[in-house]
Amino acid sequence: MKPVTVILQILSTITFVLMCWYAYTSLSGYWDWNAPYVFIVTVFRLISLILFFIGTMVLAGLIAPIAGIAPGEALVGLYNTQLLRMWYMQPYGVSGPFTSIGQVFSSVTRNFGDIFIILSQYIFTFLYFLAAALGIVFFLQSLFRMEHKFVGGALISIQMIFVIAAARALIFPDLPVIPIPEFTGGEIPINFVDFLVERAQIIALVSFAYLETSYQMIYSYSVGKPVEEREETLKRQLLALRQATRKRDAIEKGEKISTTAMSRSSGATAFSFLREAIERRLFGGGEAIESMDAIADVRRLQIFVDELLASDPDARDQLTAKAAAPSSAYILSSTIIGSAIRFIGVMTIAFLFINPVFFVAIFNLPPGIANSVELEQPELVVFFMLPILLAFVLVAMIIGWASSREVEEKPVLTKEEKEAEKARKAELKRRRAAARKARKEREKARKRAKMVSDSGDEWDKALEETYKM
Amino acid sequence: MLTHRGFVVVFAGVLFLTSGFSFFNFYLTLLGVYLLVGLVVTLPLFAMTANLSGIEVDRQIDKVKVFSGDFLRVKVTIKNTSRRHFDFIEVHDQYPELWILAIGANFIASRIEPGGSITFSYILQVRMRGKYYLGPTEVIMRDRLGLHYYKRVLKEQTEVLVYPTWKDVRRLEALGKQRQLGLMFGAHRTKVIGMGTDFAGFREYQPGDPFRNIDWKTSAKRGDLVVKQYEMEKNIQIICMVDTSGSMGNGYPENTKLEYAIRAAVLLTHMGIERKDLVGTCVFSDIVHAFVPPSLKPNHMYDVLEALAIAEPVGWSDYESAISYVTSQTKKRTYIIWLTDLEESPAPLLNAMKKVVANGHRATIISPFGPWFEAPVGQFGPVEKVLSEAVSEELWERRQKITRALARFGINVVNVGPEDFLPSIIRQYEMAKQRGVAMF
Repeated sequence: MKPVTVILQILSTITFVLMCWYAYTSLSGYWDWNAPYVFIVTVFRLISLILFFIGTMVLAGLIAPIAGIAPGEALVGLYNTQLLRMWYMQPYGVSGPFTSIGQVFSSVTRNFGDIFIILSQYIFTFLYFLAAALGIVFFLQSLFRMEHKFVGGALISIQMIFVIAAARALIFPDLPVIPIPEFTGGEIPINFVDFLVERAQIIALVSFAYLETSYQMIYSYSVGKPVEEREETLKRQLLALRQATRKRDAIEKGEKISTTAMSRSSGATAFSFLREAIERRLFGGGEAIESMDAIADVRRLQIFVDELLASDPDARDQLTAKAAAPSSAYILSSTIIGSAIRFIGVMTIAFLFINPVFFVAIFNLPPGIANSVELEQPELVVFFMLPILLAFVLVAMIIGWASSREVEEKPVLTKEEKEAEKARKAELKRRRAAARKARKEREKARKRAKMVSDSGDEWDKALEETYKM
Repeated sequence: MLTHRGFVVVFAGVLFLTSGFSFFNFYLTLLGVYLLVGLVVTLPLFAMTANLSGIEVDRQIDKVKVFSGDFLRVKVTIKNTSRRHFDFIEVHDQYPELWILAIGANFIASRIEPGGSITFSYILQVRMRGKYYLGPTEVIMRDRLGLHYYKRVLKEQTEVLVYPTWKDVRRLEALGKQRQLGLMFGAHRTKVIGMGTDFAGFREYQPGDPFRNIDWKTSAKRGDLVVKQYEMEKNIQIICMVDTSGSMGNGYPENTKLEYAIRAAVLLTHMGIERKDLVGTCVFSDIVHAFVPPSLKPNHMYDVLEALAIAEPVGWSDYESAISYVTSQTKKRTYIIWLTDLEESPAPLLNAMKKVVANGHRATIISPFGPWFEAPVGQFGPVEKVLSEAVSEELWERRQKITRALARFGINVVNVGPEDFLPSIIRQYEMAKQRGVAMF
């Protein structure tokens, strides 16, 4: 399976790089490399300023009720000089520590506005960098850890660059417009071929292709991996078992054994059975007995496995499930065919949803609606998409429901077993009834013989009765 | 059904779609549409191919009856009887929680061709006696992208009867081997002087002794008539009464009073069989659950093991019903060993013991003392410690009364804890052998 996974890893990387390249070129000229540094430093300065202001106010507030008067300039100056001297205020025109509250107030009011302006300028660029960095990190994680969540994270992060750019244009219409991907003239082409060659469509398709190839890559990895892992695990388990048995034998013979940290950890973490046996030996209640049991268990398992492997030639393959490994050729061919079908299906159906011309023609809508402005709005997609997508789900549900009818569960018990179970229950019931009856009779007899007394300890009474005998 | 990653795609699709609407951007709208369409476009096809009724699971095990602590190989074969490809199939074969997965894994994920099959196996260590079931098997089929799945649980289960542990017997045998005394280590055959063929010694002639027993040579040497004595080896008959009332289930898991009682019964039966003694077992609580009469049949041990394997600590102890049943089934004189915690009221117990004695049987009670099987006092806080000590004291006092009362019938009560349970039953057995109690 590894060659197929590697091919898909390469494809995933190519599509991701393409997606990033489109994002980079779309926002060409807006990638100010100083933005992240300036933004982060500005944020810290803002926090610093707020804390400085609060600190000074709290000090003044604490001293005033105790002293009965507002703290003197010298005291505040001392505080500021000694405690806040390291405060980083230089970029805002402050050359040294403040010595009066007045300076503090004027500094805050003057600098706060400057900082806000800088923040508003750099925040979007900073977010582009942040999203891109996150996207790259998620992408690398997805390549090595083969988990779907990282693929989703990478896609969303890179696409968030466009979302942020679009949001910036809406929030600050006065700022220069960023050319985020869009169809020519802000309209969807009526011709399918024109639609296919549109830059915005190509970017969307590349993004979708990244998702598709990455998910296929994870499939290829995960469909072959369990078998490989099983084989590895079995090898490790058998090795650890053999080592443990040898060690026990050596200890029993009185020979010295050398253990390294590596061998100890590999032995202990090899598998739960051995770990449990070791724990039982170390922490068991009755030490000698527990230790003996644990050793015996490990040795018996070794004997069991040896006998099994010797007696059944297929045993090793079945333990590793070697025969279950699927062929690489099929995976590759079915991946290509499956993905091609999905791409064609997705592009065609999406074109129909996003372009109302087809539906306008089918439903023969009146000119008033067909030429209305609403038909040119993106929201119109929902109008056609929701019912059709739900129709897909409905069809799948109907198929699933119909196919589940075919499932015929074998009864858990055969007829003979059911009868035997019934007879067993009847016998148990009969026995209980007989025992209940006998008990009642004995109880009556006991009462007659005044064996049962209402007071005192029952064992004392019983003891007295036995002595009377 | 939509998987978690399917929901992530839905979330991303809706996010881009709504972003497109908000910012009036067709690119974002198109991306959202691509994701949502991509999610469902192959769904009907997947639903059509993912017909899990075409999957058959066959589970095979080496043995259906195993001893607790033994190993069991489970072989699972998954067959695709349909004409469809299953791109990604996960199979989880479930096993009882108490058991330990020793080697391999009870799970496989792969693809399966039409008419193809996958076989995997794993080795379990069977723990705790009782009746267990392997299965059900959970089959999950996912689509290639892992966005949708169908699940089916195949309810077919494989029953496994787990006998009580055999480790005590193994330990006993190992001890015998170590001392090079063979399997009969520690055995004392019950010898009866008078009959038989083995020479036992001489004694003075008593009037009435047959003349053929007079040893003339020795008589001549001694100057007085002496007769030869012969001895005969006799075996004893024992019935082990195992109380399975609810209170016997108290104690640490796997180390309850009942578990020890069962281990003791297994050990006793094994020792009895080795020494050609007849050992039977009665499992009772408020009714007699199982009775295996004393026997020397080849399968006797397995009959006893099966009776003990399914014992559960439920109900209360009805000693009278149990002994009535046993005495009605047993005609010969028998040494009855009760394994009970004596937690019931005194009158029925005393009546039961009276019945034992009246029928000419002998009995001993080996009684696990509750507090010794529960958490050590050291693990309690000060209040719990005082309370538990008070309870223990009261229970102990009660025990003394029971001992005194039963001593009237010549019945010995041995109070045991987890550590001396098994030695006690061996000791009682050896003493019975030496004394020749209930010979047949």
